[in-house]
Amino acid sequence: MNIMLFAPELFLLLGALIVFLLSLSDDHNSARNVALAAGFGALILSASGVNLSGMMFGGAYSVDLFSQLFKTMITAGMTAVLIFGGRHQGIEKRVRPEYYLCLILSTLGLMMLVSSVDLVAIFVSLELSSFSLYLMLPMRSTEHGLRIQMEAGIKYMLFGVMATGIMLFGMSYIFGLTGSTSLTAITAKLPALIHEPAAVVGIVMILCVFMFKLAIFPFHFWVSDAYEGGANETTAFLATVPKLAGVAMLIRIVNLINPSEAIINFMAILAVCSMFYGNLCALRQTDFKRMMGFSAVAHAGFVLLGILTFKEAGYATSIYYILGYLVMNLACFMVICKVSKSGENVPIAGLAGLYKRSPLLAFTMGLSMFALAGIPPFAGFMGEFLLLAGAMQAGHLTVVILGALNAAIAIYYYLSVVKVTYCNEPEVDTEPIRVDIGTKAVSLVLISAIIFIGIYPAALLDMASTALRLAF
Amino acid sequence: MNQLLTAQGLGGVVFLAVSAAVVIGALIAVNSKRLIRAVTGLCLCLIGVAGLYYFLNSPFLALMEILIYVGAVGVSIAFAVMLAEPRQEEKGTRATGLGALFGFIGGALLTWGLIKAGLSTHWQRAAEKINDGSMLQLGKSLLTTYGMVFELISLVLLIAIIGSLALGKRGRSNGPGKISG
Repeated sequence: MNIMLFAPELFLLLGALIVFLLSLSDDHNSARNVALAAGFGALILSASGVNLSGMMFGGAYSVDLFSQLFKTMITAGMTAVLIFGGRHQGIEKRVRPEYYLCLILSTLGLMMLVSSVDLVAIFVSLELSSFSLYLMLPMRSTEHGLRIQMEAGIKYMLFGVMATGIMLFGMSYIFGLTGSTSLTAITAKLPALIHEPAAVVGIVMILCVFMFKLAIFPFHFWVSDAYEGGANETTAFLATVPKLAGVAMLIRIVNLINPSEAIINFMAILAVCSMFYGNLCALRQTDFKRMMGFSAVAHAGFVLLGILTFKEAGYATSIYYILGYLVMNLACFMVICKVSKSGENVPIAGLAGLYKRSPLLAFTMGLSMFALAGIPPFAGFMGEFLLLAGAMQAGHLTVVILGALNAAIAIYYYLSVVKVTYCNEPEVDTEPIRVDIGTKAVSLVLISAIIFIGIYPAALLDMASTALRLAF
Repeated sequence: MNQLLTAQGLGGVVFLAVSAAVVIGALIAVNSKRLIRAVTGLCLCLIGVAGLYYFLNSPFLALMEILIYVGAVGVSIAFAVMLAEPRQEEKGTRATGLGALFGFIGGALLTWGLIKAGLSTHWQRAAEKINDGSMLQLGKSLLTTYGMVFELISLVLLIAIIGSLALGKRGRSNGPGKISG
């Protein structure tokens, strides 16, 4: 067994162990530094091992380009969140070391999830990442008398546990039909069984939990409250990194079955409902994070457009889109973390006059909003365009028209944020915002990524296609 | 009457008793007003589930169900109830009117769908089972196929314990207390 295959995970585990020991003291600064080092190390190890491939742990763990790509994105997301989170002022001071531990273990769970090719391994890695996330939400500081994080935490947990239960029920059907928990064995047996009602029900039930992670309608109920109730740093993580693993697993599970009319229609309806629900609700939000929650529902609908084509090109576009989504969302949450002085929520009106207080932050926010709205030449435009074109080729004309309509609705609320940022005068706070060097670096990386991903989609799409060919 | 006294007939009676334990236990668990009674109902339900496992030729799993779920989980929930001392108040009002109607229709549709899916599927016969479910098989797969998962579960438990300590401490202490572990 080649140890390098498992090196990123091992490195994160080592980091988790050190943070665990540090949590015995109140030294949250060194805990943060260790977490940052662990994330950075894991990022370098996954990026450098991107071409490794092999099976581990008795065929339960597959390392290939597909999993390594996602691991690189996941660790990059975690590292970025840790850097711009700064001292994590939104987190209760005395539980900060535990918070970093949860953050590392959640990332570890997601990394192991994208490599898992066994139903039991999928379930346990998913639980590791979800448990840590459930805990991170209520760890928000109570300094301002805030109690919404409790509601957010309990809502997220109850919905999450429910979704996991549904997934386990579905897994029991699949196991009962195929007699195996290994995805390789299931792939071999399932196509012959696809006319069995229980097989379809089982697969759809397994898909539910990943749709919950992505907040696809009707599994979106947690999203607005969890986004609003979580500390800014927590929401930045919650809104970006788990979505990557969600898309990876949707592709893995969907790939088990041949497309049938019923499943395609089911996914198309969910996609359209997500887009409409997310965009229409986002129109009238005043809290920035809450608005981003509804925007996440809408974007999840778009991601589903790529998956419901049941073709390699569609899956590749979904991967490309979620990568763009990662950088766009990281960029705007970074701005929110910096604008919020002591971890309070930022209303959209609170961004007024940001261009005077910090030109760099205002530019980052403006760019990410333009990108999310799908304005060329940024990442969001290319992603939405390719997804709609792919769905068009697959013959889903109605869905494409409704999707395009939604892209138009979305422009309104994204651009009103830009308007507030650039055109309105600051009302309460007028002093400039100090941006540390690490955040500046992350901001520049994110800005160039948003532009690069939008201008050169070919290289990334090729890589995603190769990964899919090698993995499936 | 004579048929009841054969091995198969007695087995059927025991099966019915076990299934009744599952259903009655579950009903007690969701319907009782006191939390501690709900826990007892849950334990009864789980004993019934253990009986079902026994009927499915998995005596080891049945024993584990009793040991872990009825024993450990039941006791720890009872402990939590004792420690948290929930006020003995009435449960929240039940859904009435439209909510109850839609809930009932939804639940009935789901049950009907699951039963239909279960009945119209050609399941594998027991004779084609992949292994005998014995302890030998279990031990082997725990150390090979499921070795990683087995280790990973310890991490899940660790984070659950740490999380409950870190969050639970806050509810009990008035001042900013120190967290250990």
